[in-house]
Parts: sequence; structure tokens; C-alpha cells
Amino acid sequence: MKTSPTLACVNGAPLNKGAPSPTAISVNALHIRFGALTVIENMDFTIRSQEFVSLLGPSGCGKSTLLRAIAGLIAPTSGSVRLGDVDAVESKQDNAGLRVGLMFQKPLLLPWRTTLENVLLPVEIERGGSRVDDIDIVRAKRVLSLVRLTDFEQSYPHQLSGGMQQRAALARALMSDPDLLLLDEPFGALDELTRDALNEELLAIWRSTETRLKTIVMVTHSIPEAVALSDRIFVFAPRPARLAKVVDIELPHPRDQENMAFMQSVSQVRQLVRSLS
Amino acid sequence: MKLRSFIPAGFLIGALCLWEAAVRTLDVPAYILPPPSVIFAAIDRNLFADLGYTMMEAMTGFLIASGFAFCIALLFVRSPMLERGLFPIAITLKTTPLVAIAPLLVLWMGTGWWSKITAAALICFFPVLVNTVKGLKAADAEYYELFRSLHASRGEEFRKLRIPYCLPYLFSALKISSSLAIVGAIVGEFVGATHGLGYLIMISSSHLDTDILFSAIFAAAGAGIVLFHAISWLEQRLIFWHSAELE
Repeated sequence: MKTSPTLACVNGAPLNKGAPSPTAISVNALHIRFGALTVIENMDFTIRSQEFVSLLGPSGCGKSTLLRAIAGLIAPTSGSVRLGDVDAVESKQDNAGLRVGLMFQKPLLLPWRTTLENVLLPVEIERGGSRVDDIDIVRAKRVLSLVRLTDFEQSYPHQLSGGMQQRAALARALMSDPDLLLLDEPFGALDELTRDALNEELLAIWRSTETRLKTIVMVTHSIPEAVALSDRIFVFAPRPARLAKVVDIELPHPRDQENMAFMQSVSQVRQLVRSLS
Repeated sequence: MKLRSFIPAGFLIGALCLWEAAVRTLDVPAYILPPPSVIFAAIDRNLFADLGYTMMEAMTGFLIASGFAFCIALLFVRSPMLERGLFPIAITLKTTPLVAIAPLLVLWMGTGWWSKITAAALICFFPVLVNTVKGLKAADAEYYELFRSLHASRGEEFRKLRIPYCLPYLFSALKISSSLAIVGAIVGEFVGATHGLGYLIMISSSHLDTDILFSAIFAAAGAGIVLFHAISWLEQRLIFWHSAELE
């Protein structure tokens, strides 16, 4: 069950405070190898429901691979990834356990479909045909209004700006009504102003009761972005790729990036990242 | 913009006038190079009948080959084993010159239209196959991850992603192979035929009817241009997103 935002976020306190929420993701002794290349070695952690976790670190330290393992797209070589109490790969195959939404740095919209048709794609595939009913369309329109694209329902992707394309991709991810949203540098290709605005909207959607969405795991290269959004930051280090440190960010929301405490957190994380690479 | 589209036509007319004047002042014998006016005068109902015949053979071969190549491409992408096994055969087929095979086709199928349709189909097949295979695999790897994360079946992945994604690749192959189809049909007609532009070219060249020969060459070129533009027109309507994406 989703706790209502008024209960979870009293006076802007971080969402993960209060009653301990159930475990959303548990990773145990995870190893992932591609042939001779070890990408993830002996990784352990848990992420609770209601948490926003950022995976931070330079390229090539296994963050994206980890995200795909959580999505059930990559099977562990050994060890396990569990969503709730179901194995991630099985959860993907059987449609059991937590519902997962996935979003990448590229919007990956289908260029021959309008925004509305793109957002309806997950429903079409779930229904196993091209049939969508009026209820689906109403829901798609509501999701599009959540990401503020109501006026662009009938536009094609090439008619949208980069920021709008990512909004449409977010809407499509939300259309699967996920409990867990996995984001691989979702706004990394956008300019800073657009990125900040979209991050704010993402937080607002996460907090709202409009969706089932509870847990967000986001891969990012940006330290300020990680500090602005996360309850916890998982800092990864290269050579050998590993989860080096977990940083709790206990700043209240909304987080003002000009605030002293915010800037201190950013420089603290930055020093940590430097010391690791 | 309207004026600009007349520029190529203007140059063409200029070149024809120059040709006409040069042939007449230099007194070039008509069996070597007839002036354009004589060539245009040689256009008659027989030419159109032969053109129609060749076009029918070329188009039939083109449609059969394109459909077949598309299906084979789907199979290749579905089964890498099949691709690895059969692709070398397709390449062998492609590297064997059609003119070398054409006599065999006439021997097997006679001088009727089936030998020409087969010749046209053989020459069209490879470009469509190669481009379709390429197009079906062209989407970013992340698109497939997206589809897998949505629990899409292989069929849905083909219908909703791979096939639409492949259309721009398919159409650039269709534009190439439509003109090749005419080449294939004419080569078939060279070897043995009683109708068609290839037949007309052979007969008129042996009779030194150079004006008819030229009219047949123009007809063949014109047919290729018309086919090319017809397919481009269809492409722009069907793949409205592609040119916009490239901008």
C-alpha cells in the first residue's frame, strides 16, 4: 500500500522517515559476468519501498548493468536480485511481484506514433493485441497531464523538444503503473534548466497519490542531481567496479540548491567520488 | 521554387537542341546518330506495346522478388542460424552476373515472359534482402530492452518495432531494385524474346534502325525514372516521420 504523502512527508521531512517501509529490492552476493569480463562482483544491498536511490559514479562501473539486473533484463551469474519477495527475472517473466517501469537517457519513442499512441504502447502489449479501450485512453490522457503534455497528445516525436520527448517517455513508463521506476540517466541529455524542471516534476509525481509509484532507482553522473533527489546515494567506484559507499542525504524537501547545507552535501559527495577514482 | 524545378528540364531541352543542331550541321549519318526530332518521330504504338510488355515483366519480377526477399529477411532476423547458412548462397547469387544466367533461364522457361520475370526477380532480390535485414536490426539495442521490459513477444517486437523501423531501409532498396528490374527484363529479352524493349533494341540495331534503337533506349530510361519517382512518392507518404527525423 502506498502511504499518503501527507503521512510520509510531514512538514517536508524526508519520505523514508517514520515507520520502516518494506523492502522493495534486495541484492544478495550478486555477481554478473559477460564472458571473461566481471562487471559486478559480490554486491549486497537493500532498497526499501518509499525510497529514492541514486546510483552515482563514472562510466564503466556497472551502474547500468545493475539497473538492468534489477529490471530482470540481465540474469545474475550468481547471487540474486529480488523485487519484494520474487526473483527479478521471474518477476519479469511471470508478471508477478512488483510492477517495474523503465526509462533511458534516450526517449526511445516510436517515431511513427503520436505521443498518445506511444504512451499507450505498454497497455497494447499487456493486452496482447492492438486493442485499447476508452478507459486506457482516459488513463493515458491523465498520465500525459501529469507530465504536462496534454496539448501535445496528437504530436509526433519529431515535433516535440528534447525535454518533451523525455516527458513522453516518463509518461509511457508511468503507464505500466509501476511500483518501482528504474531510470538510466533519464534527463542526462537535456540542458540543465530543463533537467532541473523535470527532476522537480519527477519528485512531485513520486509524492503524489495519483500513481502506485513508491520506489525510484536512478543512474546518474550528476552529483547535484543525486543530492537534490535522493534519500540515499550509492557511490560506485571503477577498477574494480564496486559499490564503494552509501551516503544518506537527510536534507528536507524541497531542496534549495543555493542552500548552504545542500552545497555542503554536494561537496562532501564530490570529495568522496574523487577519493575513490 | 516552381522556377527551380524547371531548371533540369531547361537544360535537357537545351542539350537536345544542341544535339539536333550538331547532327544537322556536321551531317552525321542517321544510322550513327539520328537527330532527336527523328528519334521522337520514331515513337509509335509498337514502341508503347513493347514498353508495356517489358514493364509488365519488370514489375512482376520486382514485386515477387521484393515480397520474397522481405519474407526471407524476416526469417534471417528471426533465426541467426538460417542467416549464417543461407546468406553466402544469397551473396553467390548476387555476384553471379545476370547476363551469364539469362541464357539458362530462357533454356528452361522458354522465350515467353517467365524467363524475363525470373531474370528481373533475380536482380531485384539481393538489394531488398540486404537492406531489409539491415533495417530489421537497425533499432537501438535499448529499444529491444524497452520491449522486453514491457513483456512484448517476438511477434509484437517485429510488428510494433522492427518492421516499421525497417521501412526507410526497405524503400531505399525498392528504389534501387525497381530500376534494376528493367535491366533484368531487358537482359532476358536480349537472349530470346518476341516482344519487349530488349527485343526491339536487338532487332533495330541489327537493321541499323538507329532512330528506333534510340527511342527504345529513351523508353527504358523513362520507365526507370517513372518507377523511381513513383516509389519515392509512396515512401514520402508512408514514412512521414523519417525525413523529419533526419532534419
